[in-house]
Amino acid sequence: MRNSLVFYVNGDRHEVRGEAAGRTLSDYLRGGCGSPTAERLVGTKIACAEGDCGACTVLVGKTAPSGDRLDYQTIDACIAFIYQLDRRHVVTVEGLQEDSRLAPAQQAMVDCHGSQCGFCTPGFVMALQGLVEESDDRGPLADETLRLGLSGNLCRCTGYSQILDAGKRLDPARVDSVAKQYDPAPMLADFAALGDGPVRVNPRDTHQLNGHATAAPPVEVFLPSTLPELVEFRADNPDAKLVSGATDVGVQFNHGKLAPVAVISTTGVAELQHLEVVDEELVIGAAVPWSRVEAFAKHELPAYHAILTRFGSPQVRHAGTLVGNLANASPIADSIPFHYVAGSTLELASVGGRRDVPIEDFYLGYKQLDLRPDEVIIAVRTPLPAENVQLRLYKVSKRRDMDISTVTTAFWLELEGDLCAGARLAAGGVGPTVVRLPRAEEALIGRPLTLEAMRVAGRIAREEITPISDVRGGADYRLQLVENLFAKCWHEVRGNGILTGSSG
Amino acid sequence: MASVGQSLPHDSATGHVTGAARYIDDLPRLDRELYVDFAGSPVAAGRIRSIDLTAARAVPGVVCLLTYDHLGGPNHFGPIIPDEAFLAEEEVVYVGQPIVVIAAETPAAALRARQLIVVDIEERKPVLSIDDALAAKSFIGPERRMMTPGAESDADFEAAFRSAPHTLAGRFVSGGQEQFYFETQAALSIPGEGGDVRVISSTQNTTETQAVVAEALGLGMHQVVCECQRMGGGFGGKETQSAIPAVMTALVVKQTGRPARLVLRRGDDMRITGKRHPYQTDYRVAFAADGRLIAAQMAYYSNGGAFADLSTSVMERTMLHADNAYHVPMLRVTGQVCRTNLPPNTAFRGFGGPQGVAVIESLLEDIAQVVGRDPFDVRRLNLYRDGDPARSVTHYGQIVRDHVLDETFDRLAASSNYRHRVNAVTEFNTTSITHVRGIALTAIKFGISFTTKFLNQANALVNVYTDGTVQVSTGGTEMGQGLYTKIQQLVADEFGLPPSRVRMMATSTEKSNNTSPTAASAGTDLNGAAALVACGQIIERMRDYAAGLFASTERGLVAAPEHVVIDDGAVWDDRDPSHRIEFGEFCAMARRERVDLGARGFYATPGVDYNRETGCGNPFFYYTTGAAIAEVTIDRFTGELTFDRADVLMDIGRSINPGVDRGQVIGGFIQGVGWVTNEELRYNDAGHLLSTGPTTYKIPNVTDLPRVLNVDFIDNPKHQKNVRQSKAVGEPPLMLGICAWMAAKNALQSLAGDKRVELAIPATGEELLTRMTALVGQAVPDAVGTSQISGRR
Repeated sequence: MRNSLVFYVNGDRHEVRGEAAGRTLSDYLRGGCGSPTAERLVGTKIACAEGDCGACTVLVGKTAPSGDRLDYQTIDACIAFIYQLDRRHVVTVEGLQEDSRLAPAQQAMVDCHGSQCGFCTPGFVMALQGLVEESDDRGPLADETLRLGLSGNLCRCTGYSQILDAGKRLDPARVDSVAKQYDPAPMLADFAALGDGPVRVNPRDTHQLNGHATAAPPVEVFLPSTLPELVEFRADNPDAKLVSGATDVGVQFNHGKLAPVAVISTTGVAELQHLEVVDEELVIGAAVPWSRVEAFAKHELPAYHAILTRFGSPQVRHAGTLVGNLANASPIADSIPFHYVAGSTLELASVGGRRDVPIEDFYLGYKQLDLRPDEVIIAVRTPLPAENVQLRLYKVSKRRDMDISTVTTAFWLELEGDLCAGARLAAGGVGPTVVRLPRAEEALIGRPLTLEAMRVAGRIAREEITPISDVRGGADYRLQLVENLFAKCWHEVRGNGILTGSSG
Repeated sequence: MASVGQSLPHDSATGHVTGAARYIDDLPRLDRELYVDFAGSPVAAGRIRSIDLTAARAVPGVVCLLTYDHLGGPNHFGPIIPDEAFLAEEEVVYVGQPIVVIAAETPAAALRARQLIVVDIEERKPVLSIDDALAAKSFIGPERRMMTPGAESDADFEAAFRSAPHTLAGRFVSGGQEQFYFETQAALSIPGEGGDVRVISSTQNTTETQAVVAEALGLGMHQVVCECQRMGGGFGGKETQSAIPAVMTALVVKQTGRPARLVLRRGDDMRITGKRHPYQTDYRVAFAADGRLIAAQMAYYSNGGAFADLSTSVMERTMLHADNAYHVPMLRVTGQVCRTNLPPNTAFRGFGGPQGVAVIESLLEDIAQVVGRDPFDVRRLNLYRDGDPARSVTHYGQIVRDHVLDETFDRLAASSNYRHRVNAVTEFNTTSITHVRGIALTAIKFGISFTTKFLNQANALVNVYTDGTVQVSTGGTEMGQGLYTKIQQLVADEFGLPPSRVRMMATSTEKSNNTSPTAASAGTDLNGAAALVACGQIIERMRDYAAGLFASTERGLVAAPEHVVIDDGAVWDDRDPSHRIEFGEFCAMARRERVDLGARGFYATPGVDYNRETGCGNPFFYYTTGAAIAEVTIDRFTGELTFDRADVLMDIGRSINPGVDRGQVIGGFIQGVGWVTNEELRYNDAGHLLSTGPTTYKIPNVTDLPRVLNVDFIDNPKHQKNVRQSKAVGEPPLMLGICAWMAAKNALQSLAGDKRVELAIPATGEELLTRMTALVGQAVPDAVGTSQISGRR
């Protein structure tokens, strides 16, 4: 079994084991890539260390499904770990220039006064290049594409306007992919030669034998490639931290709240990459990043897609996963209310076999899961709404984008003519776990779906929840929000619609 | 071609986009360099019983742990009142207040030590809010007063209120704001010979850093050099509080003889450094039936935090901006800074101006509602009138002159199609029951100069080399605002060189002594002017020398310095333009003839004079003015606000660099929008800040930018002052961001009928929903017919 991690940085091959395997990518780059003589790649900046500003944005290329190219996407380097980068190609802002000529994204930022203090600028440059990489038609970047595409990058100086100007000046048709600068063929050949098998770095037993007790041993890393390998290692290492996108693990690590002795990175497990509709059920594998779900849901489940575009940031959605969000079990996890009302089922696996758990039974209390130490979540199955179902998902947060919910709600209303034949409702941010609202549901079922009925249900819902006051909002505000969202839902489903067009 | 007036890219733009521009944390590690961390107070108020460092000292890699008794000098500093301890002694007065400085071989060891330090504290109940402080009579400095000349008589003042057709009174509340510079507070200190220290600091204030480090270490100022190449943002937050990492690292240098660096973690930075002051203002105003102001009184209270820092100066600027762009015939203001158990609040772009401007702008909106007129018309009616002696004098006695406020209002109304859009908004609000929309204009008249007279000075060093290239150093620091770029352009034009031949050097106390902070929007005004003075000295010497060179008895040319032209990269006599000497060659020749090609320039702003005790005088060299119109839509179910459109028009004089200035205007404007909308600092009852990072503290995102954003500048031929007739631009646009809040208030007014809309800053979704719910019982009526739309416009 391979006992080192192999990846490329700006075209240079890196082979890593030991302490560096457990470092964040930004730390690794800025610290000289584990070598005292290598250039310190300090262009990747740290402004928050929690994946919430984008100053550390880099591109990561991974082998495309076709196997003949590398596909590049942006991630936040401050919350990505080296062990997640096996057989990847990292491109940093230093790697974007060719022959000391500015890359087009860089030149556009210079020409449009897109930088002031300059600290967030490398992140914006990489995000702009990322939009070019992801552009299907290589057409000019539309205002909306730019705004959403850059919403994972904060800037305190410019007010963004001149950065948007730079994005509009950029002509993707005339911008080379980084794949043109860094010939993928040798890297692909190297990755292929390394093979798809499992990787185990820093196994704990050897370190214990060394007997150096003073320094903490480096984190043990296991990268299974198949489900049997995953569950077997999991059974033997119940203390290992399961990691897929690390978008929350990275934050906790940086805050000193989490320092696992061992990690299992699930990204390479082929069985966890499923994303398909089977028998009217959407199946999302445990290692499928949000960005894939987002693209898939655009046609299959538009309401889900709409709220997904406001999950985290583009960088976070390129890395994070649904299963990570569910397993992290935050009461304000954006995804959970939808899966509650949809009646999703979690597929769990262990060496002992498999079992299915309905999502509502999975959460036993605040961050308490029906998940044995030897089990892993491998997929989530979600029934798609029938035609008579009105699905409405709401996320209310202080800031529209790149924010965590104050309150989330999900409405799954089965309509038969004027009648509400079925109702499943859920709310998050209103207690220690996401909750269904059974009394409010009861108040709706079997009755005409009128505004008054929804108002009554909203008032009942208020009594079913126990929100607290915290940094994201007061308890009274949350109660009022939940009540009001019932009325908002009615206006969207049955009212004259929502009038929002700008008079500008 | 002259480069002043050209939109040259920022002088570090290439470094920014390639990642080659270095900030403190990017500088190479030095030999034997130490990592610095600190342990702070776990409580907001209390008395230290004991500090146990035993466990921390035992952590492998920990090199030293320092408390206040290790300081070489006095343990107190402060830019105005020296009341602030470098390291806590017996009392702790805010959460996170530094108590122990830690130095270690690795960041992990330093952090481990920090976790193991045990400070036993007898906790006291903290004073957190302005109301707490008022009840406890906990103040910083005396109450200050200011009043319109002629409004001194209490009898007359009260009579004005009694006889006025209308009066309003109430309380206005605005919250604090985190600077959120991207590069956190940071410094690297390096030992020199004989106990000297070199401090590389992310600071707006090299001289203050030098002085504070010297004081803390018991050194002479001549033993400390402070330099700053650039900051990753400052916004006022690094005017005084950049001293924190500077002093900590310098203490470690003194103790260990090794280089030491500290880059604050974001959470620490947000917890322990000061912010924009929260304010509470009690006001009353008297006005005529047409909305014309008759008299007003404002009593401002600010939450200064635990130490004085710049709070009294910030309050002074609030009081000087009580009027904003409007003439108040009788205006009385008072200001009192409250001492609380929060970190010492400090400078933030606008420096008290925003808190003053927001109050009078909000009042004018209310007045319009009372008199039934469009708020635009009420504002325009009350503007200072250029040349009208009855409507030109401020409450502190300065004449507001040479401005284009009327023209700004009229042009903005036309270009933004204001009247039509007001009708469209009213129409929308009569048809939509799910959303409510508002539109509003607010203005700014911002006084330029430090209100502390002596700070209005600057010096610059200009060195010309024998290849015809130039280095410039000034006391001004670069935080992204484009100061270096503008000075580069000014100097290039003086010598007739392309700007690429002029290089801006890092700001250093070695080259510029006794400097003022780069603040008050005056960086270019002061340092640019000083650089021009230096250039002028060199040019005069060059002309004298060149005059001799070009003199020719054969051609009948006598030596005449006034005929020497230095331009286009060459030097010639305008009576014989064919004989040109390339500039570099000329410089080499001049050196060989022992002509001094270096100079130091000094500049002091003329005419500023203000008496703090009487509250009278001319504190400002001139004013930067402008106005902005915002339109917003609010979701009545959730309070979520969408910023639909903004139109901004400003008089910034003759711009030295329109591209840079446009960035300042938009960036400042959006920062102001952040202050009034979503930037909310939340503390718990024990005085712990809960919003300590971007996850919980929400500065504007690109998607918060208005869909339509028009920014333009208005010509003002009357403005003839200042360097190249430019105007300062850093702070004024921030206060135009208030228009977004005013539009939200305007939207709520359409739901309120004849009730007055109370709305605090920031108008978060929570604030808006709470206010809407209070106004109409339930936020959303069943149908248009039952909503309470005034439609009075």
